[in-house]
Amino acid sequence: MNSDPAEIADVRRAVENLAQSFGLDEKAVAEVGLCVNEALANVMRHAYGGATDRPIVVSGYCQDASLVVTIRDWGNGVNPATLPPKPFNPLEPGGLGLICLRRMMSQVSYVPQPQDGGGGMLLVMKKENPKLRRGSDFGARP
Amino acid sequence: MSDVNPSLDLVHGTRVEPSKKAVVASVRGEIDLHNSPDLRGTLLELLAKHEPKRLVLNLSQVPYMDSSAIAVLVEALQKIRKTGGRIFLTDLQPRVKGLLEIARLDSIFVVAKDEADALAKQ
Repeated sequence: MNSDPAEIADVRRAVENLAQSFGLDEKAVAEVGLCVNEALANVMRHAYGGATDRPIVVSGYCQDASLVVTIRDWGNGVNPATLPPKPFNPLEPGGLGLICLRRMMSQVSYVPQPQDGGGGMLLVMKKENPKLRRGSDFGARP
Repeated sequence: MSDVNPSLDLVHGTRVEPSKKAVVASVRGEIDLHNSPDLRGTLLELLAKHEPKRLVLNLSQVPYMDSSAIAVLVEALQKIRKTGGRIFLTDLQPRVKGLLEIARLDSIFVVAKDEADALAKQ
């Protein structure tokens, strides 16, 4: 996709469809969708500074009991996880996207990309499907 | 291709309730970084034009919004507060309600069941 906000909704829905087919419940599907939206918006606003013609690659797959969504950009390479946390103030909603990622995803990691590969950042987000945990009805083996 | 400007369609059914010094409007559609600037422009224009004491936003047709929409609502809230006004959000759908709770805004905006409830509140 391009770093164009007009493309966010379609990508979000595609990931939500994947999450649904993975067996996540309605609330978890919505959480994954919102996190993809927020992560893409952060890339567009911060990593690419509002440019709408830069590349973003989004991929999603299932790994063990988790849905994994990755977002690769070739932006400024700033790692949001290293930014100093600021006290949350509801009347200054900046940073809400990162809060959503931390609260709603099972695991979030930012992997800076090597300069010889164009730099930028790889965001890896995982959402565990509790129904597929070992010992659950879905995951247990006889 | 449609000739309809999406920004004209995002906020609709606007009416003024003079006895309550209120403006009531319905918002329609999913709101994200793409169209939240349109919402911002429309809301700020409504506030500047009518200077209401209460802005009632019916969100029954908003199944989804993201943090950029939240930022717009907060900006509108800060604007209306300067003149002693309040924003009432009605008919919240589950995803929108959930995001407001995460943003801890459910106690800063006045959340009402519906438009009548919002207009009846003190």
